[in-house]
Amino acid sequence: MSATAPAVTTVSRASSVFGAAASTDHKRIGLNMGLASLVFFLGGGVMALLMRTQLAQPHMQFVSDATYNELFTMHGSTMIFLFVTPMAMALAIYLVPLQIGASSIAAPRMVLAAFWIWLSGGIIMQLGWLTQEGAGRSGWFAYVPLSNSANTPGVGQDLWTVGVILAAAGLTIIGGCVLATIARRRAPGMSVMRMPVFTWTQLVSALMVVGSFPVLILAMALLYAERLGAHVFIGYSGAIDYQDLFWFFGHPVVYVMFFPFLGAAAEVIAVNAHKRWFGYAAFVASMLAFAALSMSVWSHHMFTTGGVTNQYFAFTSTALVVPAGVEYFDMIATLIGGSILLRTSMLFALGFFLQFLIGGLSGIFIASPVLDYHAEDSYMIVAHFHYTLFAGSVFGFFAGIYHWFPKVTGARLREGLGRLHFVLLLIGTNMTFLPMFFLGNYGMPRRIADYPSHPGWGTLNLLETAGAGVIALAVATFLVNVVVSLRHRDAAGEDPWLGHTLEWATSSPPPRHNFERALPPITSYAPLLDLRQRAADRNGAAMTRVPAGRAGLGPTPQEDAP
Amino acid sequence: MRGGAIPLLAWACLLAVLMAGNWVWTGDAIQVGAFGFAVLVIVLAAAWLVATHRGAIRRGPPEPPPPGRAEAAPDLSFAAVLAAIAVASILFGLTWAYFLVYFGGGLLILSLGRLALEVQAARASRELHESRSLPDSAEQERGP
Repeated sequence: MSATAPAVTTVSRASSVFGAAASTDHKRIGLNMGLASLVFFLGGGVMALLMRTQLAQPHMQFVSDATYNELFTMHGSTMIFLFVTPMAMALAIYLVPLQIGASSIAAPRMVLAAFWIWLSGGIIMQLGWLTQEGAGRSGWFAYVPLSNSANTPGVGQDLWTVGVILAAAGLTIIGGCVLATIARRRAPGMSVMRMPVFTWTQLVSALMVVGSFPVLILAMALLYAERLGAHVFIGYSGAIDYQDLFWFFGHPVVYVMFFPFLGAAAEVIAVNAHKRWFGYAAFVASMLAFAALSMSVWSHHMFTTGGVTNQYFAFTSTALVVPAGVEYFDMIATLIGGSILLRTSMLFALGFFLQFLIGGLSGIFIASPVLDYHAEDSYMIVAHFHYTLFAGSVFGFFAGIYHWFPKVTGARLREGLGRLHFVLLLIGTNMTFLPMFFLGNYGMPRRIADYPSHPGWGTLNLLETAGAGVIALAVATFLVNVVVSLRHRDAAGEDPWLGHTLEWATSSPPPRHNFERALPPITSYAPLLDLRQRAADRNGAAMTRVPAGRAGLGPTPQEDAP
Repeated sequence: MRGGAIPLLAWACLLAVLMAGNWVWTGDAIQVGAFGFAVLVIVLAAAWLVATHRGAIRRGPPEPPPPGRAEAAPDLSFAAVLAAIAVASILFGLTWAYFLVYFGGGLLILSLGRLALEVQAARASRELHESRSLPDSAEQERGP
């Protein structure tokens, strides 16, 4: 039994490209969005490589200063508006209906339209590269007055503004549909306190999206009007007002880019530790508090402007450590006593938690206005947010990909190539972003196309550029892994990892309406684990590897084989 | 959908407390306005859920759907894709070439018309299915 009544197909299915593009199947839309995001990720990565080449040594002049401005603007915009946030949304579109036992997503036509609105926005944003003045070049936040038509003339910046409006509108609609799906389409038996951990992280992300993204759309619409000649943001107070509006979106989006991958990593850790996620109720409470607090910290991006009340935002920013601490505690407690399998997905999940810790701890430093005055606009900030968004979220993303790839395609990714991918990415990430802390502390400012030959700066920058190359190699390894795994398929079956949640109770890939047989009884947030435990109790079978009463079944027979 | 509004209201309460703190501490109209907007959106979403189903505010797991009830699920919607492209075309036209605004406007009207037909057809299919399956389910309920 799924959440909703039996579905009646009203329009015949098309197997063509048009059919895939216009399909209202949430899995197809999620897959399309994920693939499009991945293409944007590769584009954003190329931009990063060009920037790192420019900065490899002082006075390189590999690209012009103007092109460098375009590169860092479009790199940030691409990664945030077109890769990490939409990838989080793509995971929600694909997985949330499956995890809550629904036959489809709420308002599938709206989700489909939203995907195309977002994609159009992304393409329009990138079209700026083809214009005479170049693409957007006033930073991904487009501060006023730098981004007005006097200081940044040209169509490229207009296209950027319109692209952001469309991308944000598409993501907002998707957030609303995910929220409606969770609120209205849960399977019988699935109360809100029985929803999987990943679904909870998507729920709070959707809450933040619908609460904060419309404010970005307003800010961009006002910026567009400003560029057309209307005097909207006047003087110092106008600049501060713009920053308030922008960062009201700009900080919550950081958590929209974090929570879903936290949820993915949590699912991976619980499944690979063969244990229930520890402290579920505390985790749920901490997620709600974390999301609410993260909506109230935005002006810490403006500490040094002198236009905001630093005490309030320092207080809320520092308070974030409490819910974050609960999540780390839950993760450690889940691992303790577990029968841990270090599959590739697990390596990425652990990498996510460990590296995000570096990003998070450096965030506590700069949540203090006193220290932020020292770090503001330096490479310290660049290191901090890349440790949260790349070393954190992207590792969580890959954990999720290795975990759910068999569900989506029916084939497992190769473990050997996966481990190589993990090792390369781990090395590359830390080679690239760790030296940035030192450079920032030495005073190297961000967003500069060249830098003086101070002792040590060239060496650290060269190390970072080499690290960026290693990251590119890691991503190439991942792509090879996908191609090899799809061409020479290692059939995964329905539930290759002994998953805990409902998506593993259907075929891989799932059928059009998700579940063709009755769902198992939903008595907790890990219904399949409950089912296996009940079966084991009935049969009197001893749990393998793990002490009884503490865990689910042990590894699959193939994994136990020598 | 039982309980669906509870997380929204819980979160809106947390947000409202933080907004009050911001109001007292900063008194900044833009900040309080942005905060207030977020709280309002979530409260309105929760109110809509409760208005469409009273159980949304009650704790407990969702109930099974009533017997015989069907749901229309389209496999394709070209109208939705065209509506999205129309919106993008209008905004792109504002920046690049004005004729695209008219093109997009026309396309939007056509696609919304087509969307209305799609929704109507879906409703008709569902009603037909329900009218066929209701006697069966009534017989099943009566038993042998």
